[in-house]
Amino acid sequence: MKRFNKYDLPQTARLNLTPIIDVALVLVIILLITAPMLSVADIDVKLPTAQTRGAEDEGRISITLGETGELAVNEDLVSPDKLREILRMLLAKEQNKNKLVVVRADQKVPYELIRVILREAREAGANRLAIATMQSDKGNS
Amino acid sequence: MARKASRKRTEGLHEINMTPLIDVSLVLVIMLLLLTPLAFESSIAVRKGAASAKKSEKREKEERVELKIISEDKVIVNRKTVSLGKLSLTLRPLLADKVQRRVVIDCDDSVSHGTFVDVLDQAKLCGAGDIAVLGR
Repeated sequence: MKRFNKYDLPQTARLNLTPIIDVALVLVIILLITAPMLSVADIDVKLPTAQTRGAEDEGRISITLGETGELAVNEDLVSPDKLREILRMLLAKEQNKNKLVVVRADQKVPYELIRVILREAREAGANRLAIATMQSDKGNS
Repeated sequence: MARKASRKRTEGLHEINMTPLIDVSLVLVIMLLLLTPLAFESSIAVRKGAASAKKSEKREKEERVELKIISEDKVIVNRKTVSLGKLSLTLRPLLADKVQRRVVIDCDDSVSHGTFVDVLDQAKLCGAGDIAVLGR
């Protein structure tokens, strides 16, 4: 008579789904929280450093200007001649009426271009303007 | 008797499954690493002054401090040229006796954005309350 052996039983592999659900939920929550922060274009910008902080707003419209002149409004690349039109369209929306318009420009860009962007933003109806900076290590306020 | 004692010792042993905790912690670490540069981003609020701001009333003109950045290291503060390094020494006493602490900044087109922000930052550090950028 053959002896009963526990290794003869068919092996059933159960996949533990708990960790993957945990990680997925955490990712969803973090992405939901950080989505407004990430609404900036993927242009390599080295922001000028500053010690002072101010004009912190969760909801904002960002205008990004790269060192080589690439221009973007929020995540979308735009041509300079369409900047005012796009900003006007964005600012016309009820939820954007009093939003902060932040100019994120590379520190090497000449001021001439910043002046043009500020003028375009103002003429498009932006009430609140700010210049983006990177908090420096010496920051004290 | 001995068998009974050994069962008692093992009865209370439960292994805590560390895998989910480590998974979540690693995801958090990765997200924080990615978001750190964005967290350090800040901004300085500016008011866009119209070109006509130059022709404002005399009283208002006396109340504000005018800065004009003419090169990467030279700034004119109320018609007096100072180096960028000594800007705060000049600006602080001027702003101290103003009620509104308004600063109007004009910048030469060839000056880099980095220098412009440096002047904005120094003005803020010296106590400027309202910063207007002059248009043309």
